[in-house]
Amino acid sequence: MLADAIAAERFRLLRDRSALFWGFCFAPIVGFLLSVGGDLFLRNVIKKPMPGVTVGLVDQVIKALSGGASTFGALFLMIGAAAVLASDYRWETWRLLTPRNTRQNLLLAKLVVVGEAVFWSLLLTAVLSAFAAVIGSLIGGRALAFSMFDRNLFDVVGVLAITWLEAMTLAALAACVGVLSRSTMGVVIACLGVRFVQTVLASSLRLMEQGQPSWKLLVLPVFDADLLRATLLDPSQLGAASGSAGAALAVLAVWVAVLATAAVFLFRRQDLTKE
Amino acid sequence: MSIALEAERLTKTYGAVRALDDFSIAIPAGGVFGVLGPNGAGKSTLFRIALGLVRPTSGSASLFGAPAGDIRALRKVGAMIETPRYPAYLTARDTLTMLALESGTKNADIGGWLERVGIAHAADRATSGFSVGMKQRLGLAAAFFTKPELVILDEPTSGMDPAGIQEIRALIVDLAQREGVTVILASHQLDEVKRVCDRVAILSKGKIAAEGSVDALTAGDARLRITAASPIAQVLAVLGAKGAADGPDAVLADIRRGEAPALIRSLVEAGVEITEARWREADLEGVYLRTLETAQPLAQSSSEGAA
Repeated sequence: MLADAIAAERFRLLRDRSALFWGFCFAPIVGFLLSVGGDLFLRNVIKKPMPGVTVGLVDQVIKALSGGASTFGALFLMIGAAAVLASDYRWETWRLLTPRNTRQNLLLAKLVVVGEAVFWSLLLTAVLSAFAAVIGSLIGGRALAFSMFDRNLFDVVGVLAITWLEAMTLAALAACVGVLSRSTMGVVIACLGVRFVQTVLASSLRLMEQGQPSWKLLVLPVFDADLLRATLLDPSQLGAASGSAGAALAVLAVWVAVLATAAVFLFRRQDLTKE
Repeated sequence: MSIALEAERLTKTYGAVRALDDFSIAIPAGGVFGVLGPNGAGKSTLFRIALGLVRPTSGSASLFGAPAGDIRALRKVGAMIETPRYPAYLTARDTLTMLALESGTKNADIGGWLERVGIAHAADRATSGFSVGMKQRLGLAAAFFTKPELVILDEPTSGMDPAGIQEIRALIVDLAQREGVTVILASHQLDEVKRVCDRVAILSKGKIAAEGSVDALTAGDARLRITAASPIAQVLAVLGAKGAADGPDAVLADIRRGEAPALIRSLVEAGVEITEARWREADLEGVYLRTLETAQPLAQSSSEGAA
């Protein structure tokens, strides 16, 4: 039954070209174009290619993936998530769907499909950033290395997974806000606001804290994701904070689970008088 | 006889508004059951509760004996509630494919149903460009294509042209008679209800005001139309509360058939010059309008009687 709902949501998203493009393709494509455009600008306008500088392929990919759920990336991911999670209020189509599957399955399926789309979007980011690195090295006449910092594909997969989990905390929040606000715009604004506030809070608290991060920092998914990425890529820079990586991972997972459960709970009790 | 939809002491309030008020009904499986009532009478609320879209404030509703909203019962139901809407980017065929996937329906005859409701030519067009009538037709296909045992239709022919109305009416009758599908039909088109439905319930202010077969509701509701050369006031004076003017030279007498000879006699004795007296057979519209105008809701009067 959940598999049926997932198949239906996937079918639907694949036909919603607008949500697919703006939500899950636009940010990776813009990142690619900006990167290549920057290299062309350096070469043709400033005419100052940087010979001798080596481009690290994996490093570029990891850098791009790390910013996959940044405020800019989150804006577009939430546009896509809102289209999946809250558009049935906009189209007034819950009345078509709710008699055909359980509400729990309907909402979980949407969340699963958003999770799939976020994964493919991050994968697209990785592939396009690799292409951009190759093209950039050709444009700038720079050498291309696999990695300048001894990173490997495992690091790429790890960063992709951490960024995906970070994005899923926002997606689960989007599910909650979607049910409560019944508005796609509400989802985008609320999630973006939460993402921005988290970034500001995490930066402020980080300045004030030394050593082990406090629970105030650990409850912020943005901080947890940064901590996990740093633990994976450069644990020596973290010092005492590296011991909190397990807690950070658990907090991210708990956020996703709690927000998804809350969304399902609210949706199951919601009157769909007027979607 | 099995019951398709049952409501027991169902109440639903939206703030200060009581959409359904201690409402009870048992709609048997088989045939076409009409639900009539003005806007706000509680028809759509009843359907939304049955389909699990809305939770009742108190009381209960069931489909085929299972609680309203139970997905096992809902899998036996097709529904079109109010004006159907669709994601604008989906075509008609995609919409039905998505719904088939959602309900786990294998091998649904999507093309066949689009043909049957008359929109096969637009199967691959986005529904955003559909007229109201085409959306209604797609809604009907969506309600029927999973081969349900019960179909709930809320104003299924609104926005359709006369030929479309006839087509859809024939389709509903065909499904009910040949395929044994139970249809619950809410409509403002009384003529449609009279032609299609076996039984009817008239809702008013969240209660049942009248219920029965169309024949039973209209039988006994015939009125004697008396045309007179004398002034109408003279006729009305004899009839008292049982008479009502019907044009400049006629009155309608609300009497039983057996009372007609005595009435005519008393009119003649009162000096009324009767030029014509004939029975005007009741129609559903008359029953409907008079039920809404005059009748205390049955549920209310029966509960008052019980008290």
